[in-house]
Amino acid sequence: MIARRDLAVRVAARTDLSPTCFRIALTTPEPLAAVPGQFGMVACGEGFDPLLRRAFSIAGVARREGVTIVELMVKQIGRGSALLRRAPLGAELRLLAPLGNGFTLAPGEEGPLALVAGGIGLPPLLFAAELLAAQGTAFDLYLGAATAAELLEVEHCRSAAAAAGGELVCTTDDGSAGEAGFVTAALERRLAGGRRYARALACGPNPMLRALARLARERGLDAELSLEEPMGCGVGVCLGCVVELADGQFVPSCKEGPVFPASRLAARWSA
Amino acid sequence: MSVRMATSVGAVRLANPVMAASGTFGYGLDLIDFCPPERLGAVVSKGLSPQPRPGNPMPRIVETAAGMINAIGLQNIGVEAFCRDALPLLRARGAVVAVNVFGARMEEYLEVIARCEREAGVAAYELNVSCPNVTAGGMEFGHDPALLETLARRCREATHRPLWVKLSPNAPDLVATARAAAAGGADALTLINTVRAMAIDAVARRPVLANGCGGLSGPAVKPIALRMVWEVHRALPEVPLVGIGGVETGRDAAEFLLAGASAVQVGTATFRDPAAPLRIVAELERFCETQGIADVRELIGGLQWR
Repeated sequence: MIARRDLAVRVAARTDLSPTCFRIALTTPEPLAAVPGQFGMVACGEGFDPLLRRAFSIAGVARREGVTIVELMVKQIGRGSALLRRAPLGAELRLLAPLGNGFTLAPGEEGPLALVAGGIGLPPLLFAAELLAAQGTAFDLYLGAATAAELLEVEHCRSAAAAAGGELVCTTDDGSAGEAGFVTAALERRLAGGRRYARALACGPNPMLRALARLARERGLDAELSLEEPMGCGVGVCLGCVVELADGQFVPSCKEGPVFPASRLAARWSA
Repeated sequence: MSVRMATSVGAVRLANPVMAASGTFGYGLDLIDFCPPERLGAVVSKGLSPQPRPGNPMPRIVETAAGMINAIGLQNIGVEAFCRDALPLLRARGAVVAVNVFGARMEEYLEVIARCEREAGVAAYELNVSCPNVTAGGMEFGHDPALLETLARRCREATHRPLWVKLSPNAPDLVATARAAAAGGADALTLINTVRAMAIDAVARRPVLANGCGGLSGPAVKPIALRMVWEVHRALPEVPLVGIGGVETGRDAAEFLLAGASAVQVGTATFRDPAAPLRIVAELERFCETQGIADVRELIGGLQWR
């Protein structure tokens, strides 16, 4: 396991991805490694408002010329994310990372895998797509959003899927781009049409993950879900982000997760 | 100049006046990479009940201005698992451990204490009589001086170890409950627990927390906590106090000591900075240095009233 650390980082770049989402690159001279699905807790500003750090899934980590670059994707929802959007380039923030467990990516795995992303759930799957493409594991990438404008990083996703010999399937709830309807329905249609996957990896809003867990159960598909529970501390001590497991335990998703095999979650979680 | 940082809470000797508060530091070992428990004055366990408790439904926490409201509902692994899995490791590290005790009924407090009495390495018991997030027990003990005195006395009879009672800021008469706890045999008082509070989602027209209400903590409650520590210290100057409520910096800790606390606990600050308790030790030491204070105990009750 890679040791978690509380790092001073600088805002090195920021790119808008949609009217509400942006990509932000944070740099530090310290070495840092992470696996897809792991996240960081970012102190978005000084002082007590906001009081708590914000959890963001890591979209990629690279080290170039003695500098570590951590890529995050952020949806502007509240004060923390608004501060990140406004933070000047060069501003110093604190990043506690890497946290949580991440997806299982077995080197040499043949696949194909189904990567399923809903809205701002994309970062760990884009990170996974790049690693899978590099290691030669086949996958299709399902990318869903409410509207065309909220489909993130479409070209980036397309090239990652193409590099793995797979397909990018876009869906929008309103039908303004790609297939109309939920991303899980697009996956279900392909499964019904005979497409087979070794496993599915998914991240997105909880209703999407619940639908995927039900689909996985019906189809006997192994699925790993990265949950998006609101987190207080990110390190398992506030117990604000617990999830119920099939064995009746309530575990903090920041520490035991955020990635769980769908079969490990309590049936009533996805009921 | 080197500052003498050791203090004591009654008979409990601490290497420094900063403890990790119950419910914010797991079972003492969760944050060893940021905050080795043996380098703090003490660590207070998550509130332990005789049996494991699953806690409340989600959502359980919500951030508010300079604070947060929680309704965790005393989720814990139970006293048996704590004694078996965590306590031996804490003991081996040389950590000073206070066990936070919770029960829905008086007998359950006694059960937790009885189980811990079989173990070495428990420096004190801290009775949680002030959790605002459970329907049975807890709060009632903290709000009714007669009941609290009985609870303290029963627990006092069950152990020779130091007994602390963690007081509720929501009690109608704080000083009366403090007096009752002391009369029942408490060696020290911890104050304050969280302040009963709520957050509302105006669009959904619903409370944010599944529990409806919860307990407010963080910098928002510090002025209330300081006032309460000072009031209880003034009323019961002979009773050692442990101050808690929004301690974020060494200077905050100094303020609690001045108000009359012999030590402080750091809680919500650990959620935003897992190294907060240790950082606060260093900051308090530096504060003493800059103020020309050779012994941190000089601060205790040192408030100069005009």
